[in-house]
Amino acid sequence: MREIQNAYYSAMAPFLKSGSQLETQARDFLKETRHSKELEAELEVTREQLGSLRLIESRFRALEYENAQLRHALDFKKATHFDVVAARIIRRNPTTWWQTVEIDAGSKRNIGTQLAVLSNEGLVGMIDRVDSGGERSSVLLLTDEKCQVSARVEGSPEVGILSGQRGGFDGDPMLRLRFLSPNAALRTGQRVFSTGRGGTFQANILLGTINSVEKGALDSEALVRPSVNFADLSAVFVVLSSDS
Amino acid sequence: MIRYSLSTILLLLAAFVAQQFLPSFTGMHHSRILIVQLVFLCCAVTVGPRTMLLLAFLGGFFWDAQCWLAPHGGDPEIYTQPVESLRFGYSILLFGAIGALMQGIQPLFHQGKWQFSALLSGIAVLLYLAAEYAIINFVRGNPVLTRATVMQMAFTAWITMLFSPLVFWLLFRIARTCNHSINPEAGRRRQREY
Repeated sequence: MREIQNAYYSAMAPFLKSGSQLETQARDFLKETRHSKELEAELEVTREQLGSLRLIESRFRALEYENAQLRHALDFKKATHFDVVAARIIRRNPTTWWQTVEIDAGSKRNIGTQLAVLSNEGLVGMIDRVDSGGERSSVLLLTDEKCQVSARVEGSPEVGILSGQRGGFDGDPMLRLRFLSPNAALRTGQRVFSTGRGGTFQANILLGTINSVEKGALDSEALVRPSVNFADLSAVFVVLSSDS
Repeated sequence: MIRYSLSTILLLLAAFVAQQFLPSFTGMHHSRILIVQLVFLCCAVTVGPRTMLLLAFLGGFFWDAQCWLAPHGGDPEIYTQPVESLRFGYSILLFGAIGALMQGIQPLFHQGKWQFSALLSGIAVLLYLAAEYAIINFVRGNPVLTRATVMQMAFTAWITMLFSPLVFWLLFRIARTCNHSINPEAGRRRQREY
């Protein structure tokens, strides 16, 4: 019987070998599949963890940014010689043609109309309207044509009136400094400050830098790049009074 | 009829509330949905001239109350050339003008062809914005018309017009609730067909 069995197995040996190889391969394959399923599950968990970590990181970055902004604002509030009230921008451009924003501070915090509004980068605009509820105000931005500021150019005797330009909503808003002398010797990059004349804006507030000069027969005009990035503005300060 | 007219007034007032929640689209040249003008235009085609004028008065009055800018207020010796503001009340005239335009195609609306009114509402918004901008240029002098301004007006008119079927649907619902027909000829025709 054993001989028969041996003969059988010797005859079947190549098949057995192949079969066992196949079985091994199949087992390996199944093992691999099972393993890959486990790996896949593990990968899924890792992915979820990564997503959650990314969320945490983005939240952390947002907090870091907010912290930096608030720190900046606090430094500004400490450094400024004005009596200021901090406010957040809660709404942008609520009307079609005027460049205004709304802030979350009103008469309850002693804010009235025609007060200057600053950011840590320079002049933002002026208070146009205070809501009757006393918790909101509207700020007319410096980029609006109606917001006029008496301005001087640093390192030059030139003074003029700075205002925004009509229809300047898109892209990089530029300001126009008018009524300069016909031979105004200005160069690109010179800083423009408020003169303090005219009763609305305090002196020496940074407004922007000269971008280009257009000379005319009677007077010259200059295009001024505002110092404030209006697109990225989130916190502002309303000047209640100047204690200097 | 009175109930429907009162409802259109209430709808216009509700549009002022809704307008507060509609920001400008920065990526579309600061265009916006002018829901107040749209509701007024859609209502204007469904009511008589007297109600339309009342709606124009209310719409223009409240719109100016929302958008009016105060004078600069600086020392006139320094600010010798102040930038003129638009006078309070100019919007009443503009609302009246675009309302009259909508009343012009009321016969078509009465026949049930509200699609023409929807299309005209977009054109009327465009004309309204163009007239408003022209007035600004007129009172301030030194006319300026940039491509961005034209795009802003065009996009505003376009996206506002897209919402006109919704407002018309709402008006038809209100009219049905008030047992009032805003397109009587279409109703009579439907009855004859049955």
